[in-house]
Amino acid sequence: MFKPRDIEAYRRDEKLGHKMLTPEERIRLLKPYLPSPPLHPSEQASKRAMEEQQRLGVRRFLKTHWHLLVFTIIHALFSLYIRIRQAYHQVFNKVSSIYHHHHRAPDLIYNDVKDLRRLPNHLSVILTLDEDARGGTGLAKLIEEASDIAAWCASARIPQLSIYEKTGTLKGYLPRVHRSMTQKLAAYFGPNTPGIGIRAPHCPSMETAPTLAASRSENDGIKHLSVMILSAEDGRDSIVDLTKTLADMSQRGKISTSDITIELVDAELSESVMGEPDLLLLFGPRVELVGYPPWQVRLTEISHVQDNEGVNYQVFYRGLLKYAGAQMRWGR
Amino acid sequence: MSDLYLSRIRNWFLSSPPAEWAIRGLRETLIGALKQGPVPRHVAFVMDGNRRYARSHKIETIEGHHLGFEALARVLEICYKCGVEVVTVYAFSIENFNRPKYEVDGLMQLAKVKLEQLIQHGELLERYGASVRVLGERDLLSDDVLEVIDRAVSTTKNNKKCILNICFPYTSREEMTTAIRSTVEEYSKSSAPKRTPFSQTRITQKIMSKQGDRSGKMESDNTSLGQEQSHTPPGSDDNEDSMSSTTTLYPDSPGRTSKDGSNHVTIYPNVENITTETIDKHMYTADCPPLDIFVRTSGVERLSDFMLWQCHQDTQMFFLKCFWPEFDLRHFLPVLLEWQWRQKKKAMEEGPRQRVKAA
Repeated sequence: MFKPRDIEAYRRDEKLGHKMLTPEERIRLLKPYLPSPPLHPSEQASKRAMEEQQRLGVRRFLKTHWHLLVFTIIHALFSLYIRIRQAYHQVFNKVSSIYHHHHRAPDLIYNDVKDLRRLPNHLSVILTLDEDARGGTGLAKLIEEASDIAAWCASARIPQLSIYEKTGTLKGYLPRVHRSMTQKLAAYFGPNTPGIGIRAPHCPSMETAPTLAASRSENDGIKHLSVMILSAEDGRDSIVDLTKTLADMSQRGKISTSDITIELVDAELSESVMGEPDLLLLFGPRVELVGYPPWQVRLTEISHVQDNEGVNYQVFYRGLLKYAGAQMRWGR
Repeated sequence: MSDLYLSRIRNWFLSSPPAEWAIRGLRETLIGALKQGPVPRHVAFVMDGNRRYARSHKIETIEGHHLGFEALARVLEICYKCGVEVVTVYAFSIENFNRPKYEVDGLMQLAKVKLEQLIQHGELLERYGASVRVLGERDLLSDDVLEVIDRAVSTTKNNKKCILNICFPYTSREEMTTAIRSTVEEYSKSSAPKRTPFSQTRITQKIMSKQGDRSGKMESDNTSLGQEQSHTPPGSDDNEDSMSSTTTLYPDSPGRTSKDGSNHVTIYPNVENITTETIDKHMYTADCPPLDIFVRTSGVERLSDFMLWQCHQDTQMFFLKCFWPEFDLRHFLPVLLEWQWRQKKKAMEEGPRQRVKAA
């Protein structure tokens, strides 16, 4: 906290190109604000310093306890604040999820997004496996959530979806995920079900063709949805693997190190993992990337709903609104 | 009219000695209190919103950047007093070179002047153990700025207590690419023969003199060198090499032929030993603790090519609505409190789990 007249002096000096004050004067200006420097080990050894420390000891003891007290009070207040905030957001989210429910109707979802200024071409989500859940319930829930999101994307005409799950559980059950998503899309769209393709890096794609009615009525605008399943190994590990390959090639003399450019790395990583998503949705209460591929999140908009817990349509809808720079509408 | 009057009264009140004393005491107490809990070791800031702040207050853009620098000084003061070890700030992106020339020049000038002042106060920095590092693509800077940067970095390089990383001009993709490149460089150097006191040529010569001339001398090298891999030079009967050696042959690439000439086998470190840590060591932030908090001001919720490698794991990110020149303890305090609160919750969640594992 600087005194206004000192700030004034600093700014005047700056205006004049730092010619007004000499370095010594500048130090004098700064001195009252500097904390006491840490004691040098050799100084501490001397007797006088010992005496002084003892005298300071009492003061320091009191000071520490005073700070501890303030710390406890602040954190108690902050805890209270967070609990109130969480409760408020929970109620707000519940109310708005009743108000803005998708009713598993693609038309309603499309209605929500059709007037938006822009829609992401590539949407990405981070899902978490509930490891505490017993048996296969965690996995079943995860697949259910992934299928829901896929159906919302297909309804909103978002052609590309990538689903990140840290542990790679989802990757291990690709056929099951595929079956569940196909069923979900059929339940949403009925006779007009669009086609869907699911793949993971280094795995062949599993495709389902659109139903006859959907393939005939092309003008409807419902696009083929391609889903990519990612895990932590597609993040740092893919960069490590690329480095290994490049090092090996360099050892064999096939490339020189000056060939390694941003363009090369980008091309390789987009080819083997994926390109940059436009929007990343987080369904957790805080912004944490939990190992999401670092190369690809460069310019991705990150959206989360404060204090939200779990996958729901609200986060999806609000993420799209935020991406388009729009406000939430309370009347359809 | 009355608004102006009120703000004048407020300013007069805030600058009065008792109010000043009280505010200062409050700040000190708050910072001292924060220190009682866990303190983040590494914090990163994206100083975004200087230009928008300038526009909304109808001042020159460069003026906004100067106010942004004052905000940085405030933040550094708070971080130092709290005990944060490393602060990394995004001062200038490689993309920023596309901005108007006078603004880029102004920023360069700002950086140069501030670093020059820093050098003048070298002794002061030493007393506090503070050091400055500049991370980024140096080739893009002009010589006079580079010279000042080098001097500032070298005068403070022995101070270890706290570090300020200035990313200037920086993008994370450039950093990652540089790390990959230098890792590849490290693994393309044949270093093994220099390390051992035994000469391989002498050994092969010994063997050869005993067993007579043998064509397969590479095999014996291979088996004698446990982990190390050896590669035959192009022109030998290695299929994969001979296929492409006509198009991509780099005679000057390091370690192609060993220096003594008689031994045509070059030994490289095994590429399978490359791990995340290897690449980590080649990042600009190699010796810094892991990033705990990532703060971006001005309400933009993007990483914008900053600290991608460092923050994509368990860093907690905070996107704040205020512009950077306004940023102060009152914005930073909730961030730190929330971080401490979550650390506490995390510890509580981990506690029972560990107990279950132990039982």
